[in-house]
Amino acid sequence: MASRPAGMRKSRLLAFLPNLTLLLLLILAWQFASTVWLPSIDPHMAVLMPAPTTIARTAAGLVLSGELLFHLVASLKREASAFVVAATAIPLGVAMGWWRLVYNQVNPIMEILRPIPPLAWIPLSILWFGIGDVQNEFIIFLGMFFPILINTIVGVKNVDPNLVRAARSLGAPEHKVLSRIVLKGSLPQIITGVRIGLGVGWMALVAAELVGANSGLGFLINDARSMLRTDTIVVGMLTIGLVGLLIDSAIRVLGRKFLPWSLALSK
Amino acid sequence: MGHLAIKNLSKVYGDPDATGNVVALRDVSFEVPNHQFCAILGHSGCGKTTLLNIAAGFEPPTSGSIAVDGVPIRVPGWQNTMIFQDYALFPWMDVSQNIGFGLEMKSLPTHKRHDFTRHYIDLVGLAGFENKFPHQLSGGMRQRVAIARALAVQPHLLLMDEPFAALDAQNRSFMQDELVRIWQREPKTVVLVTHSIDEAIKLSDCIAVMTRRPGRVKQFISVDLPRPRDEDDKSYLKLKRHLRALIHEEVGNQRP
Repeated sequence: MASRPAGMRKSRLLAFLPNLTLLLLLILAWQFASTVWLPSIDPHMAVLMPAPTTIARTAAGLVLSGELLFHLVASLKREASAFVVAATAIPLGVAMGWWRLVYNQVNPIMEILRPIPPLAWIPLSILWFGIGDVQNEFIIFLGMFFPILINTIVGVKNVDPNLVRAARSLGAPEHKVLSRIVLKGSLPQIITGVRIGLGVGWMALVAAELVGANSGLGFLINDARSMLRTDTIVVGMLTIGLVGLLIDSAIRVLGRKFLPWSLALSK
Repeated sequence: MGHLAIKNLSKVYGDPDATGNVVALRDVSFEVPNHQFCAILGHSGCGKTTLLNIAAGFEPPTSGSIAVDGVPIRVPGWQNTMIFQDYALFPWMDVSQNIGFGLEMKSLPTHKRHDFTRHYIDLVGLAGFENKFPHQLSGGMRQRVAIARALAVQPHLLLMDEPFAALDAQNRSFMQDELVRIWQREPKTVVLVTHSIDEAIKLSDCIAVMTRRPGRVKQFISVDLPRPRDEDDKSYLKLKRHLRALIHEEVGNQRP
């Protein structure tokens, strides 16, 4: 019995492998272009397009020296601190979704601020906070806040009105209706908002670090540019993509584990 | 405990004095004695759901009064609890948590809550399914959970909004028998809304037949057939013909 899931996973992995054929071919073509084709045209151009083998070697070096981990941790710390502040979007969103008065008053402000891209805040934020963690976190916070807020509002508004009525009809006072029914019922949508928010925040993070930081993955790739280390740039880019994917998957898995009743999350 | 008295009840949506308002109920009066089962029978759009919503405290009436044992109904609460057509079970709670929710709201001590929950799980025949979540249950079983959840709070008045509409014919008939069995074990004052003549006769002590909008009580009929009700019985068929004629009159009235 216990071996069956493992066996199934193995066979599924085997079935997936053929899907990587194109990717493998492209990497081979890339390798050929970087080591044979480009140098034959102009040796200097090869620098702009580091070969996959070079990238792998650089990645191993960056991992072993601890440099990559140092910058990764710096970025993750910023993402985490910004999220702690951006999580205030959840109570605000619940209040906006539940009380019409709060919505009517706060929504106009949000509608003005929301379309401004987080990156447009960079100049002002540098003047406000100087270059450093706070400025970076502010930009990341702006990227996270609105997806979380909007999804929370939608989640609260979409809670089945019959569940609210059923709770009241069973004698639940208003604060219990809010905490036990509305908040719980909107959790799947809130988690979706957190997923999107962390993703947007991660993108904003890299941009913020490009401009105003002396650590982090964004700094790493920008710093490498000034020394023409294209291999380091690509390693940094791949790390950014991979970690973004991991954060997203982690939230998905957590959501499915803790809200097994949610049909939206099990998809 | 549970004498329902409805007196000159009217409900108008929109400004009562303006044109273009909708009169959902007009001058509805009837009484349901304690522990009687009353069906409200009528076509869709006759205001029967509005009447139920007022009885549940979800909407206020425009005029008239509605009271249980002389206490006017103003807000929703366990005293006048409702069972919904789509069951409205809390998807994140398992069967016993769903049934225990109202008891928790009543601040019953934990051991008492467990005893009550246990009792109602057994009464509706859900033993063995305590830890299942609503999405893991069939329609009939979800309806059992909804019935147990409503009965557990010991309501003075139990309201049911077409509770079997979402079930297939076989399950519906079976659940109707189950409801009668449960109701006979634990008598309650019940008001059930339905558009099915058979359902009304099979379940009720009294039937309020509603007119088309604006909804009024066209006729209030006492049903004193012995239970369990036999669908081939002469008086059953006679009552059925009578009700069908009343309902058909209403369909006819609607045509211009």
